[in-house]
Amino acid sequence: MKLFTGNKLAVTAKVIFVSITLALLGLLAQSAFASGEGFIAAFIAFSMVTLAIIYFTKISIPMKFFLPGVLLLSAFVVLPILYTLVMSGFQFKTGNYVDKPAALERIVADSFVADDSGLTFDVVVGEDGQGNTALLATDYMSGKYFLSTEESIVELDASQVTVDPTLGIAVETSGFTRFDNDVLAARGDQIASLRFAGPGEYFLGLEGFEVAIPFKPTLVYDEASDSFTNEQTGAKYVDNGRGNFANIDDPQDIVSPGWRSPIWFENYVSLVTDEKVREPFIGVFIWTMVFAISTVVTQFALGLLVALALDKPLGGRRFYRIIIILPYAVPSIMSILIWGGMFDTEFGAINALLGTKIAWFLDENFARAAVIIVNLWLGFPYFYLISNGALQAIPGELSEAARIDGASNRQIFWQITLPLLLKMLTPLLIASFAFNFNNFNLIFLLTGGGPRNDLDGEIAGATDILISYTYKIAFGSSVQDLGLASAISVVIFILVAGISLYGIRRSKVLEEFI
Amino acid sequence: MKSKKIVSLAVAFGLAASSLLGAAPASANDKVITVWADETRGPALEKTLGTVAAQKGGEWVPGYKVKVVAFSSFDALKAAVDNVTKDGPDVILAANDWVASGAQNGKLAVYTPSAAVRTGFNPNAWFDLTYKNRIYGVPVDVNNVAMLVNTKLAGKKPATFGEMVNFYLKNKTSKKLTAGLCVAGGGMSWGAHSVLSALGGGAYPIRNAKVDTRQNPVPAAVATNISKFLLDSKGASNGFFPASDTGCKDNFLAGKVPYAIIGNWEWKDYQDKGFSMNNLMAVPGVTKGKFGAAFGSVSGALLTSFAATNGNDAAAKSFLSNFFGSEKGQLAYGKNDPRPPAHKGAAAKAAPALKGFGSAAAAASVPQIGAILNGSKGNASYWDALPSFWNDVLVKKAAPGSSVSKLNTLFKKNIVEGMKTL
Repeated sequence: MKLFTGNKLAVTAKVIFVSITLALLGLLAQSAFASGEGFIAAFIAFSMVTLAIIYFTKISIPMKFFLPGVLLLSAFVVLPILYTLVMSGFQFKTGNYVDKPAALERIVADSFVADDSGLTFDVVVGEDGQGNTALLATDYMSGKYFLSTEESIVELDASQVTVDPTLGIAVETSGFTRFDNDVLAARGDQIASLRFAGPGEYFLGLEGFEVAIPFKPTLVYDEASDSFTNEQTGAKYVDNGRGNFANIDDPQDIVSPGWRSPIWFENYVSLVTDEKVREPFIGVFIWTMVFAISTVVTQFALGLLVALALDKPLGGRRFYRIIIILPYAVPSIMSILIWGGMFDTEFGAINALLGTKIAWFLDENFARAAVIIVNLWLGFPYFYLISNGALQAIPGELSEAARIDGASNRQIFWQITLPLLLKMLTPLLIASFAFNFNNFNLIFLLTGGGPRNDLDGEIAGATDILISYTYKIAFGSSVQDLGLASAISVVIFILVAGISLYGIRRSKVLEEFI
Repeated sequence: MKSKKIVSLAVAFGLAASSLLGAAPASANDKVITVWADETRGPALEKTLGTVAAQKGGEWVPGYKVKVVAFSSFDALKAAVDNVTKDGPDVILAANDWVASGAQNGKLAVYTPSAAVRTGFNPNAWFDLTYKNRIYGVPVDVNNVAMLVNTKLAGKKPATFGEMVNFYLKNKTSKKLTAGLCVAGGGMSWGAHSVLSALGGGAYPIRNAKVDTRQNPVPAAVATNISKFLLDSKGASNGFFPASDTGCKDNFLAGKVPYAIIGNWEWKDYQDKGFSMNNLMAVPGVTKGKFGAAFGSVSGALLTSFAATNGNDAAAKSFLSNFFGSEKGQLAYGKNDPRPPAHKGAAAKAAPALKGFGSAAAAASVPQIGAILNGSKGNASYWDALPSFWNDVLVKKAAPGSSVSKLNTLFKKNIVEGMKTL
């Protein structure tokens, strides 16, 4: 079978390019596998095999063009959506962030408490005459010296130790060999995990290579019953099924950290049943719809108006066209920040021009108006461009015939031009609606979702749209609830997809597509 | 046949190259402690310690070098810390209010300072890095704010809050003032605490260095003072204190605002414009000799749970004690970081340029207790509630009495809840 056709240069270039791509993907797969990310490693490996088959055979010519897009779409759109869907079924928030083995490890590691007296020992790490790892410890306050191994602790007489005159701590004693830096570095991990015999019920744990502190355990884990017992109070902590060990007698008393735990549809249910979640969610949803619809309508109206105006012969038309496209050419982040400054109450240009003291971002209605005004500025050039193009595509004969039939300009616009424009532009209007439904940048940079009256317990701000509200829940406060945010994201996805599909069906465009 | 050979060669090349790339060592065999920091502290720390290649090893921890990873911003560092689940750093230089969430999420590990290290710092500094009675790192530097007076505009430094208001009201038209006092650094909650405090309130009452749960954090007198100093006869803002911090710095530097609350991290911007450290002070209170307390918070070098999984637990703790926990380490670091060192000995020897903030803090300061400030048992955290409060009384013309009462109730609930975790 002849696998390669075409000239030698093209074949060589293809082989080199595909080989380099495979090499880089191989590196990524190895790295993912080494990090324990088996699924990602498998996906990359699958991509490598598919790439090799498609580009080194003639199995499908169209796929040679589509495959990179399909793989990237899968990696950066489909998989994140699936991941979000899965996470929406989990208790995944501050306090429940890691998996259960990691949480267990942390609870055990943190379950030791230091001696209340604040006693600390300056230590030198080494080994005793029997080769056991040992600490030559100095209690600086009492002037006592000890040699401690895992098995025993022996108090040493001042005459038995050599004291460093600068540090004032014991550094040598008979039979004790101090570890040099290389040994400490090589065995640091193992030494840090040792528990040396300490005073009374305490053991000595290293807090660095130079200090040991008396600790005793508080929580003791029983693997058989998967529970912790507090040695001091006797309280028993069991897995509460929601990602925490909770006190049997007081379920509110939980041990940190918790872990990610499946709670299935609870996050979705809370959108309906939990008043603290439901009420802001409904308010934000309504404003999101108002914002997205009014944005599309105002941007389209202004864009079309300008396009109609500039469709007529006009002196300096080219200059106006350039000026009008400028807001679209300037990076929106910059524009939004500039507008933010212009709307400032005390120092902003808008209040200075109007001679007012309007608190644009501190009053609900003014903040909403500001958001729509700024978005109008940012978006109308786009609608001007597409309306201008669409106007050129409408045959002039239609309006000419109507005019001959006695139609006025207004009738021609409303009954011929606009319906034809809408027919052409509906998919773009729907796309604009979907974009603005999730216009996070504008809200985040301009108002931060505010104003919000925290004194009255408001969670969502007056200009928060669903996506900025979701961001707040996920990352915006000291308590992050990624599970609930994932559930809202899934709802947003369904809403936008549903509304878009409905709009496309109603407008009967792209019929062959759906 | 020939083409099949080419395919085999290409695939073999791809796999071999990726194996080689994957096998390439990330670093030499040195034992390395990794520290993550933001865009200012990271370069400052690396400048102090030297790059990994330049270190001999053992400078601060026996047998170890220290690698510093600097992120492009504080937010980028926060995002990285939030998202990392494996191969994380051993130590992070972070804000003290990361301690609670880091501990809850199992990303931070307990560090127990020795008695010698503990005595090197103010007890409040340890308090900032404590969650549920456990300490999670070593204090590094102090962030605080102070009020800077534009003496060319306002003349001498004011003795009372009322003096500032009078100056503004008399001169706002003739001198084209856009505000009297505004918050240029620290925002309307952290930075503006000293204003609330100057008017008689605060996030929590402190008595004998402890939070007093019985006293009202925002007593009714605050409402009276707001009406007297911040509002006009119709209950609207008199323009002296804006409810937002936007544009404050630019307007202050442009000579349109006589008094501004600024952060110590941005002092150079003001120094470059000719402002003197001598014109820094705490916000004067409503009575002479009293001052509004600003938060004096520390950033911390926090021990992570990754240190144990990286096999660097003891080494990272040694680094915290020997470098950040020592006067020598903090002095060395302080030469490259503009913030005042948290270590008492190092602070006493700090550059004179930082002492203006120190004297303002000495006049009045309050510890930043994350467990109380971050809590939202009263429906909102301190951080969210205070900007809303300013908005209510200065913009929405809400009755000061009712807003003060709401804020007081909210803070009290947060205090009671926060005290449970201290």
